[in-house]
Amino acid sequence: MPDELDRDVLDRFVRGDQDAFERLFRHFETDVHRWALRLVRDAGAAEDVVVEAFWRAYRGRARFDASRSFGAWMRRIATNVARDHLKKLPRPAAATAVDQIRAPARDLDRDRAVSLAFRRLPPKLQVVATLALIENAPYAEIADALDVPVGTVKSRVFRAVRALRKELARLGIDHD
Amino acid sequence: MTESDRLHELLRAAFPEPGGRHSRDVWPAVVARLAAPVKPSWPDILLAAAIVTALALIPGGLFLLAYHL
Repeated sequence: MPDELDRDVLDRFVRGDQDAFERLFRHFETDVHRWALRLVRDAGAAEDVVVEAFWRAYRGRARFDASRSFGAWMRRIATNVARDHLKKLPRPAAATAVDQIRAPARDLDRDRAVSLAFRRLPPKLQVVATLALIENAPYAEIADALDVPVGTVKSRVFRAVRALRKELARLGIDHD
Repeated sequence: MTESDRLHELLRAAFPEPGGRHSRDVWPAVVARLAAPVKPSWPDILLAAAIVTALALIPGGLFLLAYHL
C-alpha cells in the first residue's frame, strides 16, 4: 500500500467528510483493486470488490483508528469482501467416480481440473491458499490482511493443501 | 521436485497472473452505493421483531430496555 496520507485527512474521514473520503479513495483504490484482483482473479469482480470495500469502509469509519494504517485496514475490508464474493459463487460438487474416469490428458484439461479442485475448497481456505500457494505472499502479510494470528494462517494453508491433494488425487491428477 | 513444489506449479499453471487494471473510474459507483438506502439485514429484522414481541408480552420490560439504552 502507498504511504499514508496525513492525519488530518484520516480524522476528517472518520468524521464523515466526503472530500477526505474521496482523497483516500483516490490514493488507495489502485492498491485495493490489485489486492482484490489477486483474490478474486477477475478484473470485473475486483472492481465490484473495490466499490463494496470502500462503501463498507465509509459505513464503518467510526471504528477506524486514525493513528493506524488506513491501507492495512482497507486491505482487511477488501479481503472480507472478496471472501464474501467467493462465497456467492457456486461451488462445484465434490469429485465423483465419473470425474476419475475422465482423467485429464492434456495441460488444458489438467488446468481446468486443478481449478475445479481449488474452487471446491471452502472460501475461507481459498483466500488463504490463493495468497500463500499461488501468490507466495508471506504468512505475516496474510495474517495481517485476515486479522488472524500467523498460526491460524499456517493451519488453514495446511488444511487447504490436504484438501487439494485429496481432490486432485480423486480427479486423477498426479501431484507428487 | 518435491510434492509441495509440484502442487505450487500446478496451481500457478491453472491460475496465471490475473491481468487487467481499472477499466473505469469506480468512484461514481461508490458514491451511488453510499446514496442507496441500506437494507436491514435478516438478523436486524429478527432482533427488532423479538424486542417488539417481548415488549408486547412484558410491557414493564420497556423500562429495562430504556435503562440499557
